[in-house]
Amino acid sequence: MTSHKKGPVAPLSPVLLAGIAARPLPHKLLQPAFNAAIKQMHRQHPDVFDRLKSVNSPRFLIDPVDLPFSFVMDTLAEDPTLEIVDSDTDERELYTQAAIRGPLLLLIELLEGRIDGDALFFSRDLVVEGDTEAVLALRNAVDGADIDVHNDLLAFFGPLAKPADLAAQAAGNIFKRFTRDLETLSRATLAPLQRKCDAQAATIEELETTVNALKKQVRRRSGKTA
Amino acid sequence: MKTEKLELVCPAGTPAALRAAVDAGADTVYCGFRDATNARNFPGLNFSREELGEGIEYARSHGSKVLVALNTYPEAGNPDPWHKAVEDAADLGAHALIMADLGLLAYAAEKRPDTRRHLSVQASASNPDAINYYKNTFDVKRVVLPRVLTVPEIAALNREIDVETEVFVFGGLCVMAEGRCSLSSYATGQSPNMNGVCSPASHVRYEDKGNKMVSKLGDFTINSFKESEAAGYPTLCKGRFVTQDKASYLFEDPTSLNAAQYLPELMEAGVTALKIEGRQRGKAYIAQVVAAFRKAADAAANGEAVPPLGLERITEGQRETTGAYNKRWQ
Repeated sequence: MTSHKKGPVAPLSPVLLAGIAARPLPHKLLQPAFNAAIKQMHRQHPDVFDRLKSVNSPRFLIDPVDLPFSFVMDTLAEDPTLEIVDSDTDERELYTQAAIRGPLLLLIELLEGRIDGDALFFSRDLVVEGDTEAVLALRNAVDGADIDVHNDLLAFFGPLAKPADLAAQAAGNIFKRFTRDLETLSRATLAPLQRKCDAQAATIEELETTVNALKKQVRRRSGKTA
Repeated sequence: MKTEKLELVCPAGTPAALRAAVDAGADTVYCGFRDATNARNFPGLNFSREELGEGIEYARSHGSKVLVALNTYPEAGNPDPWHKAVEDAADLGAHALIMADLGLLAYAAEKRPDTRRHLSVQASASNPDAINYYKNTFDVKRVVLPRVLTVPEIAALNREIDVETEVFVFGGLCVMAEGRCSLSSYATGQSPNMNGVCSPASHVRYEDKGNKMVSKLGDFTINSFKESEAAGYPTLCKGRFVTQDKASYLFEDPTSLNAAQYLPELMEAGVTALKIEGRQRGKAYIAQVVAAFRKAADAAANGEAVPPLGLERITEGQRETTGAYNKRWQ
């Protein structure tokens, strides 16, 4: 399970279930794919890494809270790297300057600038720790870069980009359907609990009104006797 | 005199944000160079000379204008970066320069008289005498009003000045001491007035303390948020402090200004332009807020009701206020 991870609670999503299913597999098997992805990003968006030079090219822990592993991203302008690390790794041994934690899909939306980082921070869907200046510089650098994960990765496939695109679209449709099904399941499971919470909230509101009225009465009486 | 159509002045911290603002319907975009000459000098933010030139060209080709904020106060004995910024912005074709410092206004008026001068909110000019002084001395064409005035006060002010007025309608709020606030300097040695940055990120830390998140600025713990509580910016003015055994926001709640409902009244009051705060925000925020205010400003110009904007989720602390526009205190 990934529930012991720090940061926001992982939402019930296909990503979470896929992460749980993939947990017994050695994550290092995925490392070559991420090596290729970071090289591709470096080729397409060298300005992101150039901008980070002003804060000494930090090393980040990127923690998708719904996956059983995290990433360490080294942002050296000449040779950036993205390394998979197991969630059980002692984070102090990773020597990162900052950590960014949130659900995978939100992190991708943030990377593509489709969602505002400050808004995610205000709503507590995103948690940052460590060197805030480094995090801010990364946010600003990626936000200014017009990154499109789908198209950027397709470019990597060269002549096979078209079939890869079709496969990705099919996978995307399955993912969307599965997400909707999970939301329905989640609502059905939580409905009785939600009803209880709503009833309790109504009782609390009533009690607060009563307490405030009593407080007013006490204040009035003590004013009269003073 | 009543305004027929309000100009929408929108923020951009990156070239991508500038394009997002223009595409979403901004009449005007304001931005700054990547240094201490502007009050949003954050890491990774702002424009190189080349990027600004491209941005101005992009805006112009879409019928929009670009203003350049040079709204910090030059260091004593080191005015050159600010003078160079005036020269470069004018050379690149900026529609106007937004400035607060008297010396910099004098320099721009003398050396680049053909480039419009706007008075920054950082100058905190809020009465006819002050504004007319800037107008008569430096031929300032527009003044950005501090966020301390009610709509009737703005109307009264506009009757006594012959300068365009621009007012904030959305985004972060200061504690109404713009250009004079020393809280950030006190805690970190750096301020928006001199260094272009309030509560610099290099001095901010967030710490996970189990069921709460603690924010620190320099040596000061300034807030502690429970697990599901909406957070705000780590500035001292929005810190939560304990007095008489009770923790509360002594200066200001973490909340965003939203004055959309006052657009018809601001038109009646003779306001020329509406300013959206947020050069530090991402392009997604810029696109969403600008598009919403485009609709609102167009509705107001057509005499229609201003539609609900639906921007609560992206506001600071996820709360909104009408700020001083509806203040009931003196």
